[in-house]
Amino acid sequence: MDKFEQAFNEIIEKDLKVEPRDWMPEKYRKNLIRQISQHAHSEVIGMQPEGNWLLRAPSLRSKQVLLAKIQDEAGHGLYLYSVAETLGISRQEMNAQLHSGEAKYSSIFNYPTLTWADMGAVGWLVDGAAIVNQVSLQRTSYGPYSRGMVRICKEESFHQRQGYEIMVQMANGTPEQKEMAQDALNRFWEPSLMMFGPHDADSAHSSQSMAWKIKRESNDHLRQRFIDRTVPQAHFLGLTIPDENLKFNEETGHWETSPFNWDEFWNVIKGNGPCNRERLDHHKKAHNENAWVREAAAAYASKVETSVA
Amino acid sequence: MESGDRTWEVFLQKKPGLAFKHAGSCHGYDKKMAIQNARDLYTRRGEGRALWVVPTEAIVSVPLDDAEAFFDPGEDKAYRHATFYKIPDGVSHL
Amino acid sequence: MKLELQHDESKFLIRLADTSVILGQRLAEMCSCGPFLEEDMALSNISLDLFGRAEELYKLICKIEGADYTPDDLVYRRNEREYYNIKLVEQPNEDFAWVIARQFFHDLYAETLFGQLTTSSNAELAGLAVKVLKEIKYSHMHAADWMDRLGLGTEESNHRLQYAVDHLRKYIVEIFDFDDLDRRFIADTASLETTWRNAVSAKLQACNIEEKEIVTPSIRDFRDGYHSEHMGNLLSIMQYLPRAYPDAKW
Repeated sequence: MDKFEQAFNEIIEKDLKVEPRDWMPEKYRKNLIRQISQHAHSEVIGMQPEGNWLLRAPSLRSKQVLLAKIQDEAGHGLYLYSVAETLGISRQEMNAQLHSGEAKYSSIFNYPTLTWADMGAVGWLVDGAAIVNQVSLQRTSYGPYSRGMVRICKEESFHQRQGYEIMVQMANGTPEQKEMAQDALNRFWEPSLMMFGPHDADSAHSSQSMAWKIKRESNDHLRQRFIDRTVPQAHFLGLTIPDENLKFNEETGHWETSPFNWDEFWNVIKGNGPCNRERLDHHKKAHNENAWVREAAAAYASKVETSVA
Repeated sequence: MESGDRTWEVFLQKKPGLAFKHAGSCHGYDKKMAIQNARDLYTRRGEGRALWVVPTEAIVSVPLDDAEAFFDPGEDKAYRHATFYKIPDGVSHL
Repeated sequence: MKLELQHDESKFLIRLADTSVILGQRLAEMCSCGPFLEEDMALSNISLDLFGRAEELYKLICKIEGADYTPDDLVYRRNEREYYNIKLVEQPNEDFAWVIARQFFHDLYAETLFGQLTTSSNAELAGLAVKVLKEIKYSHMHAADWMDRLGLGTEESNHRLQYAVDHLRKYIVEIFDFDDLDRRFIADTASLETTWRNAVSAKLQACNIEEKEIVTPSIRDFRDGYHSEHMGNLLSIMQYLPRAYPDAKW
């Protein structure tokens, strides 16, 4: 083992950070590129289900808050693409991987947002789940990713509050609003739990990611944390979690749920969710129909800017 | 790489008196676009009052193979630090 | 809602407020539809500035009127003939060139207009004008830079920009057809027009876009609540929820 490999192992062991300059196993690099670029794609695709209700936001406040949130998501995508670029992949390559289906993104965004209440449910549950995951990732071993996550976590907390604020308003509103809120919870509860990924035993990448401290806590562990936090929040709203087997275990101090519908999970990941095609088509359309804009920008830059630095 | 799109390194100064800090990178086809993109991405919450963008390829860095030669020698010259020196008791302003 | 504004100042300000909110809405449509992610960011920033500006102006109006309605009532419960925005801003996002040309024309106008409002006798309005000028300046810079890129970039981008400019210019005439209300609250309407026209001519020339002869179209004035067909569609989307659930609080 040469000194660089030894240095890498020591960094991982001592909970220090790997930086772009350091030697890293090719598999570590590839694992990170996959995880970070897919994280970035998730942020970007996530703009679509929320953008769906942006134009119909029912108050100036809710419109501005939702737009600021979606904008933050674009920003998070940009931070993460930048982090991935430090590992030797280009934005263009990542874009191509997204379009070809080679790269995945969080399957929650393949679900449709059917009513305004979904803006509440998405902010509360989807961002809530993302926060649990992202807080954990702040301690990831790759320096730029860790720093990116710290930044993202600071910004993310308002996202969940934005969603919960909508849920509170609707749960305490007219009977129609309350029904809309319950319906949104019914549809987003289980998909949100799936955001944490398969049970650790069924996850291909998990154990290597844990060994390299890319991932700091297991899927199931993070999922349980999310469930324990969220159930009381739902009770506060006076809404019912759509799980008849949900019960609190006094001994463990955790909320227990029904087994999940993994068939749906794998089906959505494979591309057969409600909106997989629509999400990708939308992204491709925006990209392709605006190729002329990028060409113009490139042509203009080459005319006016001749120096590199 | 689709031609024309470039990456830039972004440096932010939170307020006068503080040093510029590397905030990350951004994209842009030209200087004006790059600095506006950097502003939109890194200063939405008042994180800085001054901004630099530098084309990524302009950054010169120390390659891994040279890191030891560049930096290790600086770590074992204790005489460059004040703590190396013993000052007798009773003497002040030293 | 039947909007009965009692004060001339509100009747003037509502034109600015409506222009801001409608343009904000058009830019919000561009979310996840831009040429690249950075531009999604840039356009949503400008959109946020516009919604914020609209909200402040509506608040001012409510205050002047001593009204029991709110900015949200003004935005969500007035119909097509009760809005007083310039038609320029309701034009659709046909392509990115339309987005940029529309923004450039609007920002030049807004910058000069709000520049004059900084000396308003209404201290709150003057203060707001000072604040929004900074936002408008940034937006204007962004739009002007893109005018250059599109005008001078490729043959295709130039043609698309030319097409957008030709179409949008037909909605400029009404802006400078000032009425008594404008002359009361805008210190110097003549210079507002010449500043705009000179800056636009200079820019179009610099970015290789022809400033064609425009025949004054027979279009009714935005000041009387006349719009293009786009307005109804835009409002029906924007106003859907409060109108579908009129008893609900949003």
